[in-house]
Amino acid sequence: MEIESKFKKVAERYCSVKAEDITNDMKPRDDLGLSSLDLMTLLGDLEDELDIEFEFSEDDNKLAGIVTVEDAINLLKEYAEE
Amino acid sequence: MKKTIYTMWKRCEENYSELPAVRWLIKKNIQERSYGELAAAVSAIKKGLAAQGFSHKHIALIGTASAEWIEAYMSVVTSTNAAVPMDSGLPAEDIIDLVYRSDSEGVFLDGKFSSLAEQIREKCPLVRKIWMLSGDAVEGTETIADLAAAGEGQDEPEQPEEDDVSMIVYTSGTTGKSKGVMLTQCNLYSNIEAVLYEEGPGLVFLSVLPVHHAFCLTMDWLNGFWMGSVICINDNLRQMIRNISIYNPDVMLMVPLMLETIYKRLKSLGSDVPPEAIAQKVFGPKLKRIFTGGAHLDPYYIGEFEKYGIKVYEGYGMSECSPVITNNREGACKLGSIGKALSNAEIKFENGEILVRGTSVMKGYYKMEKETEETLRDGWLHTGDKGYIDEDGFIFINGRVKNLIILSNGENISPEEIEGKLALNDLIGEIVVTGEDNLLTARIYPEKELVANMSEEEKAAALQKILDEYNKTQPTYKQLSRLVIRQNPFIKNASRKIIRHEVLRDEPTV
Repeated sequence: MEIESKFKKVAERYCSVKAEDITNDMKPRDDLGLSSLDLMTLLGDLEDELDIEFEFSEDDNKLAGIVTVEDAINLLKEYAEE
Repeated sequence: MKKTIYTMWKRCEENYSELPAVRWLIKKNIQERSYGELAAAVSAIKKGLAAQGFSHKHIALIGTASAEWIEAYMSVVTSTNAAVPMDSGLPAEDIIDLVYRSDSEGVFLDGKFSSLAEQIREKCPLVRKIWMLSGDAVEGTETIADLAAAGEGQDEPEQPEEDDVSMIVYTSGTTGKSKGVMLTQCNLYSNIEAVLYEEGPGLVFLSVLPVHHAFCLTMDWLNGFWMGSVICINDNLRQMIRNISIYNPDVMLMVPLMLETIYKRLKSLGSDVPPEAIAQKVFGPKLKRIFTGGAHLDPYYIGEFEKYGIKVYEGYGMSECSPVITNNREGACKLGSIGKALSNAEIKFENGEILVRGTSVMKGYYKMEKETEETLRDGWLHTGDKGYIDEDGFIFINGRVKNLIILSNGENISPEEIEGKLALNDLIGEIVVTGEDNLLTARIYPEKELVANMSEEEKAAALQKILDEYNKTQPTYKQLSRLVIRQNPFIKNASRKIIRHEVLRDEPTV
């Protein structure tokens, strides 16, 4: 839950939707208006906030797998748990 | 004195030996290599190449920016060989295809992509050597140390001539097949010479563009080296903003997409905080100039960045011109324009299309005579962009002649290339790929007979599945974000070709 709320709070920096209005089924591009770089930068901000480090680079398929907000949250959880 | 990258690099060796040349990060700690150290590594690799019989050969580089990548690149472009920098984000089969089509005989391979070594050996019979830029040598490869050892005790190899091809850059083609832009030693040299800044050595660049792009290689790296600058490597785009505060650069080159993201970050820091404080936090104490190119930037951002004390200078270019053609610069800029032509570029217009002639215009496309003849006519490069010049000599762009889609990250997308791949699917009767809102849309008219018994939802699900499968294999910028299912076939001309400019007007819904 903590990761979910952090994600939404940080997402606010790059989109005009408020954290409390972001739902897990929203699509980063279509619903939040995030560009591919916004999404990457947002994940980078969360790496710092959660003190985790993704080992994949920007062109990795892991990013292609993020279709919804929930996918991004799950990716963060995967790393935070390790 | 010859106008070659070789002579330019010789000057760097002589004048900047003690100065820092490259910086990179290991776990947020800055590492550094001086011009002297870099030159020693470049010389050793170059002698190794000569000892292994690499003279006037093509050598591919596969990997992301690193000190080792740059050492290898400089070794190739200061020799008689030609570098073929590859987009390591492409699917493996596309990378192999480019190694094959470029007739590369050697490959520098980043350890992250070591799995490609076997396929390269299997499918590219011309490749004699694969050198690992990092990590251990996998089967059939050598390390950089092995290569340098091969050249020990050798004399300095012959130097390149101005007309030798120094680099082949692959760029999206309108026919769907990417084209290898051949740039000579003199092409690159002249382009840098025409954009030099007034500052002396020690200027700090933070390089955030993909290292295989001509804009990055010529304007961050070669231009920076010429001036004795320090070039800092951004190890990951995710951390671009954080890395600005670590490296404290003076200058950055960006594509519009980057400015858009940074702008959002600036705004998120609050309207009640003084812009000076925000600028200090995000840009550090020294960054005052950002050069942008690769795609057109909405002039709105130029005014907005100025509020934070940052001057954004827009330029224009293409790989075929090494790449810069025009730029805005201090004391000569006009909002909304792409600036004035560089001193080595002559510009004219033909039916509104911008044509360029000059010392930075490419030699041609590698082994693509027909495409070269279509693009280079009587020495004039046909850019495919439409524009005009105002009374003060500033150039403005107002459209495109060809079908390429240009996204704000500067990537040129050939819709035909994607259409060709997807059209192989039985369910797709007709397809056109368009770009709106910086996203790619697949507009599909399904094969009528196959979808006759499907509901609209089933049709959408089946087509979306095809797009999802395609997206999984592609770098982010080539992914299809939207799907429009057409109820009617596309409007065609007399020769049954789809009229592309009608597709949005016809059924625009997303």
